[in-house]
Amino acid sequence: MRLHPFTSLTAAGSTAVITTAAASLPLSLTVIAGAAFLAAAGGAGRRMAPAAAGILVPLVLSLFILHGLFFPEGTSVLAQWGPARVTAEGLRFALERTAQLSASVLVLLLCSFTISVPDLVAALSARGVHARFAFVLASTLTLLPAISTRLARIRQAQEARGLVITGGVFRRLAAFRWQAIPLVLSLVEEAGTRAAALEARGFGNSGARTSYREVPDPPLQRRLRPVLLLAAAAAIAVRLWQPTAGA
Amino acid sequence: MAELTTPALAAGIESFTYPGDAAPVLDGVDLSLAAGTLTAVLGGSGSGKSTLGRLLAGWLLPGAGGTLTGFLDLGGTRLRFTGGAADPRINPGSWGRSVGFVPQDAAAALSTVRATVAEELAFGLENAGVERAAMAEAVRRTASQTSLAHLLDKDPATLSGGQLRRLAIGCAVISGPAVLVMDEPFASLDRSGAEDLADLVRNLVKDGTAVVVLSQRADDLLLDADSWLLLTGGTAAMAGTPAEVSAAGVLEAAGVVCPRQTAGSGILPPVCAAPVSGPPALELRHVSFAYEGKRRRAWAPATPEAAAPVLDGLSLSVAAGEIVAVTGSNGAGKSTLLRHLNGLLRPTAGSVLVNGRNIGGQPAGRVSGEVGLLFQQPRDQLFERTVEREVRFGLDRHRRRRLSAALGRPTANDHGVAADRAARQALDAVGLEHLAGRHPAELPASQQRLLALATVLARRPAVLALDEPTVALDGHGLAVLDRVVRQAAAEGTAVVLVTHDHDYARSIAHRLVHLDSGRLQSAG
Amino acid sequence: MSSPSLTLESPTPAAARKRRLLEILGALAIAGTYIYLVLNQPADITGGPGSASALIALSGFLAGAVLLIVAVLPTLPVSTLVLIPVALVLNIVLGQFVGSTLVPFYLDAIGTVLIAVLAGPAAGAATGALSSIVWSFFNPTVLPFAAGAALIGCVAGLAARYGLFRRFYLAPVAGFLAGIIGGVVSAPIAAFVFGGTSGLATGAIVSAFRSMGDTLLAAITKQALISDPMDKAIVFTLVAVLVYALPRRTRQQFPFVGRHRVLAGAGQSKGLPAGRTTVRSTVHSTGQDS
Repeated sequence: MRLHPFTSLTAAGSTAVITTAAASLPLSLTVIAGAAFLAAAGGAGRRMAPAAAGILVPLVLSLFILHGLFFPEGTSVLAQWGPARVTAEGLRFALERTAQLSASVLVLLLCSFTISVPDLVAALSARGVHARFAFVLASTLTLLPAISTRLARIRQAQEARGLVITGGVFRRLAAFRWQAIPLVLSLVEEAGTRAAALEARGFGNSGARTSYREVPDPPLQRRLRPVLLLAAAAAIAVRLWQPTAGA
Repeated sequence: MAELTTPALAAGIESFTYPGDAAPVLDGVDLSLAAGTLTAVLGGSGSGKSTLGRLLAGWLLPGAGGTLTGFLDLGGTRLRFTGGAADPRINPGSWGRSVGFVPQDAAAALSTVRATVAEELAFGLENAGVERAAMAEAVRRTASQTSLAHLLDKDPATLSGGQLRRLAIGCAVISGPAVLVMDEPFASLDRSGAEDLADLVRNLVKDGTAVVVLSQRADDLLLDADSWLLLTGGTAAMAGTPAEVSAAGVLEAAGVVCPRQTAGSGILPPVCAAPVSGPPALELRHVSFAYEGKRRRAWAPATPEAAAPVLDGLSLSVAAGEIVAVTGSNGAGKSTLLRHLNGLLRPTAGSVLVNGRNIGGQPAGRVSGEVGLLFQQPRDQLFERTVEREVRFGLDRHRRRRLSAALGRPTANDHGVAADRAARQALDAVGLEHLAGRHPAELPASQQRLLALATVLARRPAVLALDEPTVALDGHGLAVLDRVVRQAAAEGTAVVLVTHDHDYARSIAHRLVHLDSGRLQSAG
Repeated sequence: MSSPSLTLESPTPAAARKRRLLEILGALAIAGTYIYLVLNQPADITGGPGSASALIALSGFLAGAVLLIVAVLPTLPVSTLVLIPVALVLNIVLGQFVGSTLVPFYLDAIGTVLIAVLAGPAAGAATGALSSIVWSFFNPTVLPFAAGAALIGCVAGLAARYGLFRRFYLAPVAGFLAGIIGGVVSAPIAAFVFGGTSGLATGAIVSAFRSMGDTLLAAITKQALISDPMDKAIVFTLVAVLVYALPRRTRQQFPFVGRHRVLAGAGQSKGLPAGRTTVRSTVHSTGQDS
C-alpha cells in the first residue's frame, strides 16, 4: 500500500512522541525492532543503515561513557578507577536514554528515507504558507547534491591559480576564502535569477494554487491521521498529569 | 500585419540607472515590437542588452531594481515612470504571463522544486490556479512545441545544456505570452542544437509571438530577423533591417562578433603554416586516463559508471612558442586532457613533462606557476574585491620563489614593485587597466573572462592552456584574446587551446590536432 | 482568463498585526519553556525517566520555532525566500567542509548568519529554525535545537542591525555573545532530551564536569559555554569575510543592508582580515565607487 506523505509523517511523528512520553524500555526496544524490520522489508535498509549508524554510534558511545563512568547521583557502585565510578543507576539511565532516542531517530529516518519528496512537496504546495515551506525543503534537497560537484570544480579552478591545501590554520583560512567566496557569489547570483524567474511565473501570487502531480489520499488514511495525532496528544497528557508513572 | 497599430510591447527608455550607480546603464532606447516579428538586439558585452531584456520582461523592476525614466507599454497599457516614489509598481506575476524571458543561465530559471520536466513546465500554471485538465493539455502542447515530449518524465537536473534551454523556453511560453525575450539563446550550443532552437523560434514567430533575441554575435540565424537594434554603451545606436545595419559597418566597432561570411570555411588552410621547432616546453608521453566510478552519497541514489578510458595512450609535444589547437566533439575529453597539463588530473599511465621535468607527484597548486590554465567558468576562479587585487593576488609569493632562485635575495620592496608591474602589464595586455578598481563579479561576462586570462598571464607561465577561450567573448574580447595569445607565443610560451570553433582554431594555431577516442590525430 | 492588473497596489499592512502576534507568541513559547525547564530541573533530571521534561522541552521549543516560521515566512520577499535554501545548503556543506579541514567545531550556522546579516533578524530566525527542520530530514537529532538555531539567526540579525558588522573586529565579539545565548538556551535540550551530548568530544567535556559533581544541566551548560561562543565567533568572522566580498550591486538587493547601514563604506570596505595589505594606491585608484 502506498502511503500518503502526510500519513507517513504523522505515523512517524506520533510514534516518536508516544515512545518519548512512555519512557518504557520494552516499548522503545519494540519500536526499534519494528523500524528495523520495516526498513529491511521496504528495501530502504541498505541506504538507511549508514545514515543511522553515523548518527547513533557517537550518540550511544557518548552517553554510555558519560553516564557509565560519571554519575554522581548513583549509589550502587560496580567498579571504580579514580574519579570514574561505574554505577548501576548510570548504566540504566544511559540504556534507557539510548533506547528511547534510537527509537525516535530510526522511526523518523525511516519516514524520510521512504517518503517521496515530490509527493510531499505537491501535498504541501496546495496550501498558503506550506507552499513556501515546501519550496525551502525541496529546493534544499535539489541544490545539495549539485553543490559538491560545484565545490570540486571551484577547487580545481583555484588549484590552477596556485591553491595548495596544506599548512597551518592561516593557510586553511585562506583556502576557505578562495573556495567559499566563488561558491557563495555564484549561489547568491543564481538565487537572484531564480527569484526573478519564480516571480515571473507567479510564485509570489497569494491566490489559490493547483497541483499538477496527483497524490492519492485514500479515505482510510485520511481517517487514520487524526487518530494517530489524538493518540500522541493523549500520551503527552497522561505523562504530564502523572510525571513519574511508567517504568 | 503592418496595419496593426498597437504593438505587443513598446518601450521608450530615457534612462535606467542601477541603485548607487552614478551613470545610467541605459540611455535612450526606443523599441516597438509587433506581434509575429523577430527582433535582434545586438551589442558588445556590457552594452546594456541584458538589462534592457530584463527590464522589458519584468525581471528587473523599476523602483526596487533601479531608477527608470520613460515608459513601458504592454498591449496598450502604458506605464509611465519618472523615477519618483509615485511611479507604478509592476506586478511581476501578471507581467510575466504576457512577457516571457529566458536568461543566459537557463538552469537558474528553473524552480528547483519540481521532480520532472512536465511538473516544471506546469509550475507557472499551478501558481495561477489552472485546473489540472487544462494544465495537462498545456504541458502536452508546449512539450511538442519545444521538442521535449520524450523527456517529460525526466528529472530536470539530468538534462543537457540545449535541452535545459528548451525547457526554460517552454516554461516561459506555456502561458502563451505575447512577447518572448531570450538572452544569448545560441551561446555554447553546438550547430545542431542551435538549428533546433532557430526552428523553434521561427515557429513561435509564425504563431504570432513577438520574439526578441539579445546577442553579441550577428549569427546567420539572426539574418532573417525583421529588424536589428544595435546597442552601444546603453544607447540605441542604429535600428533597421539586418541588411541596413550590416551595410552601415558599425557592428564590429560596437563589439558585435560577425562570423566570417566566407562560405565553405572548411577548406581554409592553417594560417601559420611554418612549423615552430625547438625544445619541447610540454610533453605528454603515452598518457591514459579513466574516471573512477562516482562515490555514493547517503541521500542520493548511487550512479554506477563504467570506467571507460577517456585518454588512451595519448602523446603530444608542444615546443616553446608554438600554438597547438585541440578540437573534438562534445564529450571527447578535451577538458580532461587540459586538466592533465597542470596536474589537476593524474594520468593512470604515462607521464606529463613541463620543461623536461615530470610533474607527477606535485600538487597542482605548485605546477600553476609554470602552467597557466584558463577555465571556461571565470567565476570559479575570481574571489577578490577589485580587479587589481585579483590580478596581483599571489604574485608576491610566486615571484619571490622564482626570483630568489635566480638572483639570490632581493628585498621585499623589490618584490612589491615587481608584482605591481607584472599586474599592471597583465591588465594592460587585456585592456582592463581602466577597470582596476571595479569588483570582478560586476564586470560583464566577456571582461570577466579577460580578467581571468590576465591573472594567468601575470605569472608568465611557460605553458598557457586555454579551455574554449572564445566562449562568452564579444568582438573586442576576441581581438584581445588573439593579440594576447600571439604575443605570448612570440615571447616563447607554449600555448595549448581546446575549442569547438574550427574557424578560430585554424586562424590562430600553428598546428591542429583532433581528439577522438582517447587519441590525437593530426588534423591539418 | 481573468487578467489581473499589471501593477501592484501599495502594500496594505492588514495582516501585519497578526504576524507580529505570532512572532511574539513564538518568542514567548521559547522563553517560557526555557524558564520552566531551568526552574524545575533539579527534581527531575536523573531521578525518574525524565520524559516529562523532555516532552516539555521538545514541544515548547518546537512550537516556538514553528510559530516563528509561520509568522515570518509569508512576509519575506521572494528574493530572500530563494536565498534560504542556499543558506541551508551552505550550513550543511560549509559546515562539513570547514569542520573537516579547520577546527573541531560544528560551524553549521554560516548560511543562517549570512541571511541574518543581509535580510535582518526575522529572516535570520526563520532561516535558523528552517535549517534545523530541513536538516532533520537526514539527521533527526538536530530537530530539537531549532529554537537555539532561530535565536542565533535573530541575534546575528540584531548585531548587523546595530552596526556590529561595520567594524571587522566587532564581528567575532558579536558571535561570542550570540554563542553564549545560543549555548545557554540549547543546553536544556541536550540535557533533557538527550541526557548528554551527541558528540564524543563534547561528551568528554561534560564528563569532566560531571566528575566534579555538577548536575547534568550544569555540566552541559558549562560545556556549551566553552564550545559555542568560540564556534559562533568563528562563524561570524567567516560571514563577515563573505559579505564584504559580495559585489555592491548584490548587497544592494537587500534593503535591510542599506536601511541600517549594516556594512562599512558605500562600496569599499576597509579593515578586512584577509591578511593582505590594502590596495597600493600607485595604480589607477580612480575607479572609485559611488
